[in-house]
Amino acid sequence: MCYIEAVATHLNLTHDIKEVVPDATLRRRMSRIVKMATATAFECTGGVPGIAELDAIVTATGLGCLADSERFLEQIHRTDGQMLNPTPFIQSTFNTVGAQIALLAGNHCYNMTYVHRGRSFESALTDAMLQLKEGDACRVLAGAFDESTPTQHHIMERMGFWRGAEDGEGAVFTLLTATATSNSIARISKVEFLPSPLSERQCREKYAAGSGTRVWRSLDKTVYPCCSAMRFAKAVEEIRKGAPEVVVYNDYFGKEPTIIVLQCL
Amino acid sequence: MRIAVSGMGIVSSLGIGVEANMVAIGREESGIVSESRFLPVSLAVPVGEVPFSNEELALRAGVGEYCVYSRTALLGILAVQEALADSGEGKSLRTGLVSGTSVGGMDRTEIFYADYLADPERGRLREVAMHDCAASTLAIVRHCGIEGYTTTVSTACSSAANAVLTAARLIRCGIADRMVAGGTEALSLFTLGGFGSLMILDKQPCRPFDADRAGLNLGEGAGYIVLQREDTLQKEPYAYLAGGANANDAYHQTASSASGEGCYKAMSDTLRKVGVAADKIDYVNAHGTGTPNNDLSESRALCRLFANKVPPFSSTKGFTGHTLAAAGGMEAVFSVQALHRGVICPNLNFSRPIEETGLIPVTERREAPLHYVLSNSLGFGGNCTSLLFSKD
Repeated sequence: MCYIEAVATHLNLTHDIKEVVPDATLRRRMSRIVKMATATAFECTGGVPGIAELDAIVTATGLGCLADSERFLEQIHRTDGQMLNPTPFIQSTFNTVGAQIALLAGNHCYNMTYVHRGRSFESALTDAMLQLKEGDACRVLAGAFDESTPTQHHIMERMGFWRGAEDGEGAVFTLLTATATSNSIARISKVEFLPSPLSERQCREKYAAGSGTRVWRSLDKTVYPCCSAMRFAKAVEEIRKGAPEVVVYNDYFGKEPTIIVLQCL
Repeated sequence: MRIAVSGMGIVSSLGIGVEANMVAIGREESGIVSESRFLPVSLAVPVGEVPFSNEELALRAGVGEYCVYSRTALLGILAVQEALADSGEGKSLRTGLVSGTSVGGMDRTEIFYADYLADPERGRLREVAMHDCAASTLAIVRHCGIEGYTTTVSTACSSAANAVLTAARLIRCGIADRMVAGGTEALSLFTLGGFGSLMILDKQPCRPFDADRAGLNLGEGAGYIVLQREDTLQKEPYAYLAGGANANDAYHQTASSASGEGCYKAMSDTLRKVGVAADKIDYVNAHGTGTPNNDLSESRALCRLFANKVPPFSSTKGFTGHTLAAAGGMEAVFSVQALHRGVICPNLNFSRPIEETGLIPVTERREAPLHYVLSNSLGFGGNCTSLLFSKD
C-alpha cells in the first residue's frame, strides 16, 4: 500500500526541454526517449527542487534506449569497430534515464532500473512500495518508458506480433509516498505478478472491493513493454474523476500477466 | 530477520563452477587471454572469455544442441543450476530470481544485425528473439524450475549487486522465502566497441590500483548467490548478507567523481544501516576495474571512509576481467568464499601504488580469519552499490 501524489505522462508536458536540461551540449547528446522520459520525470516532480527531495528513483523499461542501441550497432558493423563515436553507447544503457534524473538535481539517493519486459513497471512499483513499507524511503519517484523505432517495429512485424495488436511508446512517472498527504490523489493497494492469465470476471471476483469497481482488461490494442504504465496513469485519472476503485490487468502478448489495484482516498 | 547465503554458482574465464574458480585463484592463474576465440570479429584486445563455445555451454547446461539461446542465458543457466543445487532441496520454499544483465542478448542481436543492415528482410529472427534483458532471466527460470517472484535489473556494472539488494528486500517483506540473485553477461562486439570507443580498454592484462594502470579488460560470466530466510535453512550457511546500500554519484553519465562520492555513500550507508563500525571490516572486494578514473575515485572513497586505515582490499578483475552486470554476482561469490575459507584473493598485476592515495592492495593469497567483508560495484550512470557479508 502506498499513496500517489502525482502522475505525469509524456502526453501532458508543460515544460520545454530547454528548461528541463539547460545544458545545450548534454541536450544534443540525449536521444528522443531520454529527453521524453526525463521531461516526464521533471513534470511529475515539479522540477529540480522536487527531484532533490526524493529518497529513491526507480525506473523501468522493456527495451531501453533502442535508437541509440541501433545507432551504435550500425556503427560497429559499418566501421568494423574502429573509431567509434561513444555517445550512442553511453546513452544506450538501460539506466540512462534514472541517471539523468539524479544528475539534474545532484541527488545521490537510491537509483534503480528494472528491465523485465511486460513486468518492468510493476517491478519498479513493487520496489518503491517495499521501500516505503520498510521505511527506507518517504518519497519515491517511479516511472517507465519505452520507445518505438522503425527497426524494432519492422523486426516485430516480421515476427508476426502486429496481428491484432498495435505498436506504441510512452513515458510515465508517478510520485509515491508512504503516508497520505494533502496532495495525495489515490492509493495503490496491490501490485501482483499473476502465475497465469485471468479473465475479466476472474479479475473482478478476485480483486474488486465492490460493485463500483472498474475492471480494465484489454483496454486497448496498444502493446509495448511498459504500456501498463500508461494504463496506470489513465486509471489514476479515473479515480480523480470519482471512481472508487480501478483494477488494471495487463499482459504482454498474453504472457506475464500482472494486476495493479488503485483506490480512491 | 537474518538472511543467509546458502548457495553459490559461478561461471567465469577461470572455469565453470565455484571449485574450478577457487582452484585457479589459489594458483594465481588469470583467465584473461590475449584475444577472443569466439567473437565473430577479433578486436585484438585481451578478454576474460569463458573458454567454451555456445554449443559446449548448451550441452553442459542440458538445454539441447538445437537451442539458440543467447550466451548470456547459457552462462546464467549454468551458474544458477550450480547455486540452487548447492543451496539444497527447497520444494516447500517460495523461490524466486533477480537477475542482472547490461545488454541482454546483444551477443546474438549483433549477428542478426549484420545481415539485417544489408537487407531488412534478411537476418534469422531467432537470433534476435532473445534481445531484451528479460529473455535471459526467463530462460533461466524455465530451465531451473524457479516459480517465485522473478525480475531483471539493469544498472550497468552494478546490476548484480543491485539484484542482491532487491532479492533481500523481497525476502524481508515476505514475498519469497529463498531468492537466487546475481547477474550474467556475455562478451559482445557492442560492449567491446563501446568501452574501446571510450578509450578505456587496456591492451595488456589490466592492472587494478597500479599507478601505471591503463584501462580494463572486458570479461564475461555469471555469478549468483542463494539468499534465504534463516529459519528455512536446511544446512549450515556459508555466510550472512548483513546488508547493503545503493547510492548515486550524480556526477557524470560514465565517469566517476574525483572524490568518489557515490562509492563513499554506498559504503557508509551500508555500515550505518547495519550498525557496524568501519574498523570492523576485515576485507574489501573492491570494484577496481583498472581504469585510471575508477581506481582513483574508489581509492579516495576508501581513504575517506576508513580514515586512512584502509583494511586489506583487492580487485579480482585481474583474474576475470570486468564482467559488467555479472561482476557484482561473481564478486559476491568471491567475497562469501573469502569469509567461508578465511582466504583473501590477491590483486594481480600490481607493482606501484597510485601516487595520490598510496594504497597497496593485497597482492598474495592471504589466510586470515574474516568476519565482515564488503563488496563494491560501481557503474555507468553513477550507480554505486555496496554489499556487506558477515560470518555469522
